[in-house]
Amino acid sequence: MLLAVAAFFAAAVLAPTALRTLGLRAFWLVALVPAAVTLWALAVPVPHEQVVPWVPRLQVQLAFRMDTLALVMTLIVAGIGALILVYCGRYFTPGGPGLPAFAGEFTAFAGAMLGLVLADDLILLYVFWELTTVFSYLLIGYDAEDRTSRRAALTAIVVTAAGGLTMLGGLVLLGLRAGTFRISEILAAPPAGPAVSVALALILVGALSKSALVPFHFWLPGAMAAPTPVSAYLHAAAMVKAGVYLVARLAPAFAADPVWRPVVLVFGGATMLVGAWRALRKHDLKLLLAFGTVSQLGFLTALLGAGGRAAAQAGAYLLIAHAVFKAGLFMVVGIVDHATGTRDLRKLGGVGRSMPITCAAAVLLTASMAGVPPLAGFVGKEAAFAAFPSDPPVLAVLVAGSALTVAYSVRFVWGAFADKGIEPVAVHPPEAVLAGPVVLLAVVSLLLGPLAPVIDGWLAGYGMAYPAGAADEPLALWHGFTVPLLLSAVVLAVGVALFPARFFVARVQDRLHPPIDAERTFRLIMRGLDFAADQATRFTQRGSLPVYLRYILFALLVLPGAALMSGLPWPGAARIWYVPAEIVVAGLVCLAAFATTLQSWRMPAVLCAAVTGTGTATMFVLHGAPDLGLTQFLTETVTLVAFVLVLRRLPPRFVERQYVGIRRVNAALGVAAGLLVAAMGYVAINARTQAPISAAYPQAAREAGGANIVNIALVDLRAWDTMGESSVLLIAAAGVTGLIFVRRRPRLPRTVEAPGGTWSLPGLRSFGEPPEDAAATTWLRGSETLSPERRSIMFEVVARLIFHPMLVLSIYLLFSGHGTPGGGFAAGLVAGLALTVRYLAGDRYALAEAMPIGPGVCQGAGLGVMAVTGLAGLALTGSVLHETVLHWRVPVLGEIHLVTSLAFDIGVYLVVIGVVLDVLRAMGDELDRQVEEEGEEVITA
Amino acid sequence: MNNVLVPLPVVLPLLAAGLRLALAQRLVRVQRGISVAVLAAVVVIAAVLVYQTDHYGPQTMHPGGWPAPIAVMLVVDRLAALILLISGVITLCVLIYAIGQGASDNDESTPLTIFHPSFLVLLAGVADAFMAGDLFNLYVAFEMLLTASYVLITLGGTPARVRAGMTYVVVGILSSVILLIGVALCYAATGTLTLAQLAVRLADLPPDVRLVLQLTLLVAFGIKAAVFPLSAWLPDSYPTTPAPITAVFAGLLTKVGVYAIIRVQTLLFPGEALTELLLVAAACTMLVGILGAVSQTDIKRTLSFTLVSHIGYMMFGIALASRAGIAGAIFYVAHHITVQTTLFLVAGLVERRGGSTSMDRLGGLARVSPLVAVLFFIPAMNLSGIPPLSGFLGKLWLLRAGVQEGTWPAYALVGVALLTSLLTLYTMCHLWNRAFWGDRGKLPERGQIIEGRRGLSGTGIVATAAPGTMVGTAAALIVFATAFTVAAGPMAGYIDRAATELLDRRAYLTAVLP
Repeated sequence: MLLAVAAFFAAAVLAPTALRTLGLRAFWLVALVPAAVTLWALAVPVPHEQVVPWVPRLQVQLAFRMDTLALVMTLIVAGIGALILVYCGRYFTPGGPGLPAFAGEFTAFAGAMLGLVLADDLILLYVFWELTTVFSYLLIGYDAEDRTSRRAALTAIVVTAAGGLTMLGGLVLLGLRAGTFRISEILAAPPAGPAVSVALALILVGALSKSALVPFHFWLPGAMAAPTPVSAYLHAAAMVKAGVYLVARLAPAFAADPVWRPVVLVFGGATMLVGAWRALRKHDLKLLLAFGTVSQLGFLTALLGAGGRAAAQAGAYLLIAHAVFKAGLFMVVGIVDHATGTRDLRKLGGVGRSMPITCAAAVLLTASMAGVPPLAGFVGKEAAFAAFPSDPPVLAVLVAGSALTVAYSVRFVWGAFADKGIEPVAVHPPEAVLAGPVVLLAVVSLLLGPLAPVIDGWLAGYGMAYPAGAADEPLALWHGFTVPLLLSAVVLAVGVALFPARFFVARVQDRLHPPIDAERTFRLIMRGLDFAADQATRFTQRGSLPVYLRYILFALLVLPGAALMSGLPWPGAARIWYVPAEIVVAGLVCLAAFATTLQSWRMPAVLCAAVTGTGTATMFVLHGAPDLGLTQFLTETVTLVAFVLVLRRLPPRFVERQYVGIRRVNAALGVAAGLLVAAMGYVAINARTQAPISAAYPQAAREAGGANIVNIALVDLRAWDTMGESSVLLIAAAGVTGLIFVRRRPRLPRTVEAPGGTWSLPGLRSFGEPPEDAAATTWLRGSETLSPERRSIMFEVVARLIFHPMLVLSIYLLFSGHGTPGGGFAAGLVAGLALTVRYLAGDRYALAEAMPIGPGVCQGAGLGVMAVTGLAGLALTGSVLHETVLHWRVPVLGEIHLVTSLAFDIGVYLVVIGVVLDVLRAMGDELDRQVEEEGEEVITA
Repeated sequence: MNNVLVPLPVVLPLLAAGLRLALAQRLVRVQRGISVAVLAAVVVIAAVLVYQTDHYGPQTMHPGGWPAPIAVMLVVDRLAALILLISGVITLCVLIYAIGQGASDNDESTPLTIFHPSFLVLLAGVADAFMAGDLFNLYVAFEMLLTASYVLITLGGTPARVRAGMTYVVVGILSSVILLIGVALCYAATGTLTLAQLAVRLADLPPDVRLVLQLTLLVAFGIKAAVFPLSAWLPDSYPTTPAPITAVFAGLLTKVGVYAIIRVQTLLFPGEALTELLLVAAACTMLVGILGAVSQTDIKRTLSFTLVSHIGYMMFGIALASRAGIAGAIFYVAHHITVQTTLFLVAGLVERRGGSTSMDRLGGLARVSPLVAVLFFIPAMNLSGIPPLSGFLGKLWLLRAGVQEGTWPAYALVGVALLTSLLTLYTMCHLWNRAFWGDRGKLPERGQIIEGRRGLSGTGIVATAAPGTMVGTAAALIVFATAFTVAAGPMAGYIDRAATELLDRRAYLTAVLP
């Protein structure tokens, strides 16, 4: 069975290619698959199971089961599918752009439908169920350029998926209650209880929506925008039967449930009446049939869901009969449409005379629909009437619905084929291949009636699921003069009588407005959804950064804040300060932070922010961490330089856009968040009972052969973090550079040629030539390129004098870091500052003179060194970044030892220098250039 | 026990990033080859780790060779290995896609030389986040991936990107600060940063202090994961970036946040699931997100909102904190990484052909480029949870978890999840109706340069069929997602074991603190 389903999907994958190469004939090739499956289904023993495991953890299996009901459905799905594919081969105009895709979707749909009826697992059933929904969406939207069909497709998928998802909830609930998702097992031992009733109600919503029952019926007529073969297959034979099938599948076990029977009968009956009633006033033949289908689906649901052997067998028989006559009739409409170019029954005249064979077949099929003996429809309807002997209300509804069915049947035949006294439309007769499937279905309709007893015996396999009832009677053409026969006669008489009275009926229909129009309700819901979505999104998605920040701070205040308040009063044992100076510094930091927010000029704000950083560094020193303090001071300095460089390009004042009220809210939130964090810190430190891991650091540092705990932590204990943070630093610098240079990054390195030579490179100053004797008089190589008014000899001299000592200091810090304050990071910053001084005193050329290597190379090499050190440790000791000592024997120098942690520190050093260089090049150099280009006044430091 | 494979997914990308920076614009082809090779190596390593964790328990690495509590350590358990594998695959695909796009843009200029190192650092950060056994290292990992993402989001420096980048960067920094505060508080209260030791020591804290720590971390990770009401930044910042960048952001970054929440909730605070709070957050995330998606007319913005919405699914599973809930959330993470990445990549293909991602300017794509249409439709249906695709399986798992929980809030969440699923389907079909069906007259001619649209480096886009590498990688990702369905049995088994391992904690704790 898995193979049969798979064959369909394989055919679906191949169909588009086939159609492209073979043209429309490919449809016939594809039709071989369903035809073969039909034959296979007739040959396979019943019942027959196949189980392939799929997701055992979710109790989902590829479980298939062929029993009588599945066989009925398989024959409908595959048999009629084959016929319609044959019909497709002539229906379409060759070369249509969407046809290859259409063929694939159609075949895939058929495969999904087959899977649906064969599935013996609730979830597997749902899988195929939703697949039919999706493929039908694509098929309905075949005419994609037409707005109506797009809309209809969307409506269909939304309605059926809404039902489907509701059903999924029910299926999960049912399966978990039953302890199994195998349908056959659930049916054998059905669970009960309120939860099961809820589950069934949810499942029925799915079934009703799929089979277009009231109140979901409106999607089906809309879906008639699809090409006729789609309507014939999906909306007559296959997809809409899925809901009916599910009802029929579950009814034997759950018909007695308090929810089940009322739902099925009420909605089934109502649908039967509403559908038939509305079919009576449609002028489009296809819409007429669509509403007829809605009506019949209600009928079938009521029969198959009611419970009881007689109703079930009558329902199963009618299921076949309906698939046969309705698919045939849709194809008839397609032929008429094809031949005349219209489906409007007010315009069609004399068609019957032009295509007698089609007309004859159509009359037979319609007769079956109306329940005229000796056709299949009659037998089914008789049996249905006989199945509800003790249920007069149900019977009344069925009789009324059947009478209306007769009326619209007559109207259909009359509308499509009668002369009507209007001018006959031009007709080109249909080809045999188009009419063939229709004739075949008509013959089947005719044969099914006399063959009813045989079929009855065959359907007993399904009916047996119910206990035998008093009303059971075998399906047959003739039962004698019984009440059902009388009812059938009444139905036919009333139905036919309604036809001459059609103008009266039409007037009544015009008067009667339904109190609730389901379709309008649906549109209202969708419009309401769009409106709600717009409003909700406008409310939550303000597009304003301050608002988002307020959300976040608010969440912080509410969540941890509330938890913190619940712990009041807080136990207080922790020391708040160790030296009184801390309080002073901390107060200063707070003040500076507050002052930062008050500034309306950028420069003072930056300076205030720098005070907070410097204060923090002081705190580090006060806590006995000179190393951290040093690093923090250096970082502050570099940051300040970067800020100042950037500020040249920004307006000196902040742009104030916020209202005072909002500012106050922001201020309150900010202060509250600050207080919260402080309080949290206080509470957290008071909660500590265990010794911190840092207590073991001195010992670890000794083991690592160093005395500087901070450095050991950075390059050894937490070297992994350092490597990560280095990449952060480097990528941030690269990003800033990228933003400033955008796409115009100049070639690196940009050195200056011999003094007195070619100074005027692009972007350089636009005034004055460099002094002739530049080389002789300069302190700082490269500074000659500056315009005289920007040069400061004093600064140049100082820069020249301190540059090398600073580099030496940085090297010292780098190598001494293991034992005393220093380390790669601080060392790199010092070297960077040396370069900064050089740049500030001179210009970009001074910088290029001092540092011939580009920042990218520096950073890349640094990160590379770190990563390689990590890998070396991994290779040598099996643990990444493990400290190892490498020994080299160099001929002259003798033995050389290299501690890998030093190599790692050198990596950090290089990264930091690279970053500072990047900052200088991007924020200094490039901004200089841009400023000069724009002719603005340059404010140099 | 050190497993030498563990650190490589971080070290190798960093090495490659260093190399790329150092070499700048020299040997571009070799460099590309190195990047691709490194990512491929990460995929292979992750696959091996998946096998090893499943058979031998959590794999560890002690950088520097120091024992656990005193130094940083790396731990890879089943969850980390799986997510690492999936992240590796999608970053590899996105990189190849980006190379294809860059090549077809004829674009060898600066932003791309930044793009590659940033991308590699991003992956290193993501990998480090998954394997961090130390809370501070987790913070560092977030810094790596966030900083790299700051660079990527402003790539090319167009005004729109800088404006969007501003929102993104500032929110990102605030979230980092909150995370850092959380880390500091944890250390203040327990004196340790190793997750395993934290797990032990946190249990001794007074409940209210523990709750303060938990909620602070949740707020920090909630911003990264884009959980409502901390999610508003996302749809404003993601859609402006070029397709491959948005793709990797959408696929990975929020999921790192989700991963961190799973890790913290299961390992550090096992007793306090905060089910009600998280269920409310999950429901709001789903609904607000999907309503946002309904109201959009731009494909990328729509996708960004669905991204937020579906984070709610994962939060749903996490909130339940049952085995099925956690497992469902993990499956959903795996699924969602893949499908969101694919969709954004395909949005890039649409933009390339249609010149825009605005539905108002698109139409009839299904007829004009049927291949792109198929490539969009399958992941779109996957996102909508149409069976038998992976989105359905994840959803099914979560629904089962919700029904099994059997409480009213859980049932309500099942309902919300189903409604969200329906609205996602509606959104996707609505999008399909407008962009792929309909009038194709709005599409630009082939070869036309489109006004106002910018590629990876900010240069104009020409309406063309996308090159084979771009289409091929998108297709490869769809195949990868399909593999979730085909191999759903073993995969679900693995994830179930991963969830069991997370809730049990013993394997993790003994691996770190023997």
